[in-house]
Amino acid sequence: MSQPTLSSAPVQPHLADTMTRRAALKRAALFLGVALTPSLIANVLQAAAVPGAKALFLSSAQLDLVTAIAERILPRTDTPGASDVGVPAFVDLMLGKYSTESERQVFTAGLDEVNAASLAAHAQSFVKVSAEQQDAILMRIAVASQKKDKTFFHQIKELTVVGYFTSEIVGRTVLHYDPVPGRFQGCVPISEVGNVLWTK
Amino acid sequence: MANIQGAGTQQHTYDAIVIGSGISGGWAAKELTEKGLKTLVLERGRDVKHGDYPTAMTESWEFEGRTKLLPAELAKQEKQNRTGYTTHPASAHWFVNDLENPYSEEQRFDWMRGYHVGGRSLLWGRQSYRLSDLDFEANAKEAIAVDWPIRYADIAPWYDYAEKFAGISGSLEGLPHLPDGEFLPPMEMNCLEKDVKRRVASAFGGRPIIIGRVANLTQPHNGRATCQYRNRCIRGCPYGAYFSSNAATLPAAYATGNLTLRPFSIVSEIIYDKNRSRATGVRIIDTQTNEVIEFFAKIIFSCASAVASTSILLQSTSERFPHGLGNDSGELGHNLMDHHFKVGAAGVSDDFKDSYFRGQRANGIYIPRFRNLNKETARKDYLRGFGYQGSASRTDWARGIKELNMFGSKFKADMIAPGPWRFGIGAWGECLPYHANRLTLNSKLRDKWGQPTVTFDCGWKENEYAMRKDMKASAVEMLEAAGLKDVTPYDDVVNSAPGNCIHEMGTARMGRDPKTSVLNKWNQVHTVPNVFVTDGACMTSGACVNPSLTYMALTARACDHAVKELKQHNL
Repeated sequence: MSQPTLSSAPVQPHLADTMTRRAALKRAALFLGVALTPSLIANVLQAAAVPGAKALFLSSAQLDLVTAIAERILPRTDTPGASDVGVPAFVDLMLGKYSTESERQVFTAGLDEVNAASLAAHAQSFVKVSAEQQDAILMRIAVASQKKDKTFFHQIKELTVVGYFTSEIVGRTVLHYDPVPGRFQGCVPISEVGNVLWTK
Repeated sequence: MANIQGAGTQQHTYDAIVIGSGISGGWAAKELTEKGLKTLVLERGRDVKHGDYPTAMTESWEFEGRTKLLPAELAKQEKQNRTGYTTHPASAHWFVNDLENPYSEEQRFDWMRGYHVGGRSLLWGRQSYRLSDLDFEANAKEAIAVDWPIRYADIAPWYDYAEKFAGISGSLEGLPHLPDGEFLPPMEMNCLEKDVKRRVASAFGGRPIIIGRVANLTQPHNGRATCQYRNRCIRGCPYGAYFSSNAATLPAAYATGNLTLRPFSIVSEIIYDKNRSRATGVRIIDTQTNEVIEFFAKIIFSCASAVASTSILLQSTSERFPHGLGNDSGELGHNLMDHHFKVGAAGVSDDFKDSYFRGQRANGIYIPRFRNLNKETARKDYLRGFGYQGSASRTDWARGIKELNMFGSKFKADMIAPGPWRFGIGAWGECLPYHANRLTLNSKLRDKWGQPTVTFDCGWKENEYAMRKDMKASAVEMLEAAGLKDVTPYDDVVNSAPGNCIHEMGTARMGRDPKTSVLNKWNQVHTVPNVFVTDGACMTSGACVNPSLTYMALTARACDHAVKELKQHNL
């Protein structure tokens, strides 16, 4: 659990077609040493829906931006990154179906600010700059947002973290999946159960 | 459901009618049918057979909105949403549509309801504690409200009886104010809980922290399976591993062949015969056909929940009872209680980093009441007391949501691993029975069946507010003494509105004197002895413990009395 080899490589935002998704998923599975069942693949591909046509709310460019931000929050390492488990599509779904109009406005204005900050600092849009530059931009926004309520960064952080940790691939293969434990033991050495959380 | 309109009176006549199928109604059904009475159980909501729990095996990723309901769905449950947990997609289908089931509030009252067979027995927190004479004697000693007409000795054998059937796991502790019971083996505490228990006992003269006494089975029991430690009880348990009407009492009642259960049946009133000074039956509205139908029986058990039972009595007016059945005292609807809570503290521990637990325990720890037990523990600032419920766990990824400046690969690795151990406790406090805290019928706002709705006027008062200060301070004091770090108190008094704890009690209290109470010591309406009320409405005071076990015991006791009285032709 120690080689974040891919963490500095920004995920290409145009991972658009199913074949690329499938390849990404296979890579993620390789890191994990798990077998991908057809149903798991189908679910993840569905969750990581193709941007553009199927997006409920976000434009293709906005979805690319969300993908890039989410991937900096939870980057691909020896475990899958946010985009590997369908976080961008989840963000789109939550905005499109589960949010209020004012929440949507806060979110899209926030996306614009991220891009504006990138253009101001690097004369390039956020998705084009390096991972380090992306991190620096996000950190400035995060620090500025911390003492406020319900900002864009609160939204993207929550949606990314919740979307990631309640996803099937994380629930089944990253965390410790045991839906019917059948017993309770109050104190076990962590080495016996793996140094990961139980899937809830 | 056969069309029974036009059927003869005989076909509509049973030995007993039970209104409601929740914890109390399920027990009444079991006891009365097992004693040979042909019993009709009326439930206003839909039927739910044991096992018919649609989300029981659903994983987080199978809920489209994961933890969220669609806004249009949430808009139907704005009041049900006030608890913060009831309207999760895993359980929202067990709670009512507020738009179809309105009520009014002079002061905020959070009325959480489940209209289906099994009622809130499917949804309850399952913590099961006995009241003691500290509770039964309190009103008399302090000249508050009226005296309970029973003492612990009257109900103790019925607690035994209820526990043996329901299956309550817990530890024997020998505490006079939290009597031991007929327990299944206790669940286990985790590393930090054991450590805090030891330290608190040491710092506070042996003050006990015990494992929760919970209606979850720790071994197979009466044909039901042992707890699988999924902690998804609120969805309904396919293993039948916690007590519910659906898994336990109703199957037992069906097995007798004496049970008729009629869902979609709202009882609008109890019919009174002034010549016999008895109730003769009930009038219902079939919610699917809107038919009004009458059913008749020798005895009627109202087990519809505190608020609903009292509403039915208030609606049952006649020349003899112009202000509601059995309401000579004028107390019907008054003395509404709940527990006040959402106050306590939490802290983290640096210890036990190499330890974890296996399984999701559907239970926590309990710190029994330690105030106002005797002279040594007497308080000058408030009456009665409180207990704490809590648990220790390792924090999870949710802690990463709020920390905006933490993200990236190390953040992800940290969120995947178990976080620091955290121990939190919250107090459940007794609320005194105040005459001013009440519900009334509102005939101006009618529901979709034309029935009057309920208006609540209920609020905490000085005694509760004074107690809350101690509930918070004592939590901090214990957690700091236990060596926890970053001990943080909380007191969410706004969201501890009456009702939010879902322990509605009182409004048809038991008492010795018909002039000041509605029910006698057998839960009979003083002046209409073939009507029994055995749900939370009967409570003369609230104690500080979770009340459902007491409803089970009182219901079984009242059924026993009712059948004896029937046999002696006294009803």
